Order: sequence, then C-alpha cells, then structure tokens
Amino acid sequence: MIWQLDLLLLVLLTACAVIAVVVRSMIATVAVLAAFSLLVALLFAGMGAPDVAFVEAVLGSAFVGVLLLIAVLATGDRPAGRDRRAAWIAGPLVAVFAVLLLVASVDLPDRGDPNAPAAVGVATQYVERSLADSETPNVVTAILADYRSMDTLGETLVVFTAALAAALILRRRTP
Amino acid sequence: MIGRHPSENVRVVASLGMPFILVFGVYVIAHGHYGPGGGFAGGVILAVGIVLARLTTAPELLERAVPPIAAVISMIVGMGVFLAVAIIPLVFGGELLDYAAIEGTGLTDSRLRYLGIMVVEFAVGAVVFGGILSIFDRLASQVKQ
Repeated sequence: MIWQLDLLLLVLLTACAVIAVVVRSMIATVAVLAAFSLLVALLFAGMGAPDVAFVEAVLGSAFVGVLLLIAVLATGDRPAGRDRRAAWIAGPLVAVFAVLLLVASVDLPDRGDPNAPAAVGVATQYVERSLADSETPNVVTAILADYRSMDTLGETLVVFTAALAAALILRRRTP
Repeated sequence: MIGRHPSENVRVVASLGMPFILVFGVYVIAHGHYGPGGGFAGGVILAVGIVLARLTTAPELLERAVPPIAAVISMIVGMGVFLAVAIIPLVFGGELLDYAAIEGTGLTDSRLRYLGIMVVEFAVGAVVFGGILSIFDRLASQVKQ
C-alpha cells in the first residue's frame, strides 16, 4: 500500500459519490458510478487483491453500468423530485451509521498484519500446501475451486437460480 | 435492439475490440491457476464482450452468431458440468468434490486436482456468462427501438 495513492483514491471516491448524487442527468450519474467502481477496483489492486479488483472492474464498472443505462433508457432520463422530509430522516441516519463504521474500524487489524485473524489458522495451511496438493501456484484459485469448492458450488447455484429467476420475471412483463 | 448507432467510429472501434475481449476472457478463465482471475471474472469478461457487440453491431447479424437461447444453454450446461464433477468422486467412494478420488486415470492426485479445478473454473465461467447475458437480453428487449 502507498498512502499517497490511498489519499488520492479517497478524495476521488468522495468526489465521485458527491457528483453522482448532485448531478441532474441520470445518464451522467451512471457514468460517475462506473468511474466510482473503477476507482474501487484500483483500491483493491493496491491492497494486493487482484482477483477481487478484476471482478469489481468488469462487473461493477462495465456490466452494472450497462444495466443501469438500459434502466435509464427504459424509464426516461428525468431525475426524481427531491423530498425535503426524506432528507431530514436520511441525513441523521447516515451520520449515525458513519460514526458506527468509524468506531468499528478502530478494532480492525492493520493491513498486512501477520497476526490478523485471517492470516493465522487454516489460511497458512492453504498457502503452504496448495502447490503440492493441486499444482496450482495461485492460492486463491486453489481455495475457490478445491479446498472450499463446496462454497463455490453454492455460489454458482445462487448465480444460476438468480439469473434464471430474473430472466423469467423480466420475460413475463413483455405483453 | 439498441444497435442503431449513428456514430461509425463507435461501431468500428467496438467491433475491432470485441474479439480481443473474448480471447482475453477465455485466457482469464484458463490462466486462473497461475494468475489473478478464474471462472467468475472470465465469464463476466466474455459476457461483456458479447454485450458490447449487442450494443453496436447489427442485431440480425449477431442474433445468428450468438442467439439469446445460447446464453441459457451455456448456463444450464455449466451448472450440469459442475454438478457432475461434484458427484463423480462419490461413485469412486470419495467425498463430494474430492477430485483426487477418481480412479483409473493413471494420474497423480495433485494432477487430478489441477484438472478438476480447471473443469470447475470453466463450468463457473459458463454459468456466469450465460446468466449475465440472459439477464441483459431480457432487459434489453424491454427497451423500445
């Protein structure tokens, strides 16, 4: 991690979030959200998680952007009217939630801490044995498709079911 | 669907880039053992490549190359392959998804695991590709021309 890069990303992410809310055109909002996802992918890459960064860049930025764009095209490019009363309820709620997150973040282990709960226990076994067990240098792949393949089977079933259900629901709405 | 773009530039650049995106998607799935990526990321890249073509090329051309039913078939085949790979070790007395339990291949345990991972990655890629593309096709068919 490079703290200058992290600081730059923090500034850019905050700017993207504010612009996405403030801007009047829905298409512009979609574009800014795609940029937001791409910056988050950079953040993941900086943390040393290229696998997650990959999925975030392609799924979060490219595909969700296209989906939202289609939604905007289907419903029209007019922003919803602002509700002042909703803002009075949502504002304090968001503030309380932000404080809770900040308080909780104090207890998080440092990035790259060798004594972090995620870095001790069974994880060390995976890192040491994945090459001998399955000839796979990328430990992430070995965990996903071999050691924890039951989880991947469940995830894939969820994706399969969700896609099937979404396709069927969307189909019935066309007359 | 939305394939009537007035800009010739967009269409040319998209159709030039699309094959490379597809090849990269297959590479990401197949190279998951050695680098970042795998079934999920590769499947999404493949789907996004087809979505780009859906957005820019003439629909009647692409409908013949990649008909919407192909996405559903890919999804079902991927899920079937994954379930088959999960269940086959049970036949040999092993546990669910224990690729090394498969006998009669003459391969070492680690090699069997390596191949099992590869099959699973491609199956996951097929499911994700088909799922994303079928959702896109259904959504896009709601948008007026």
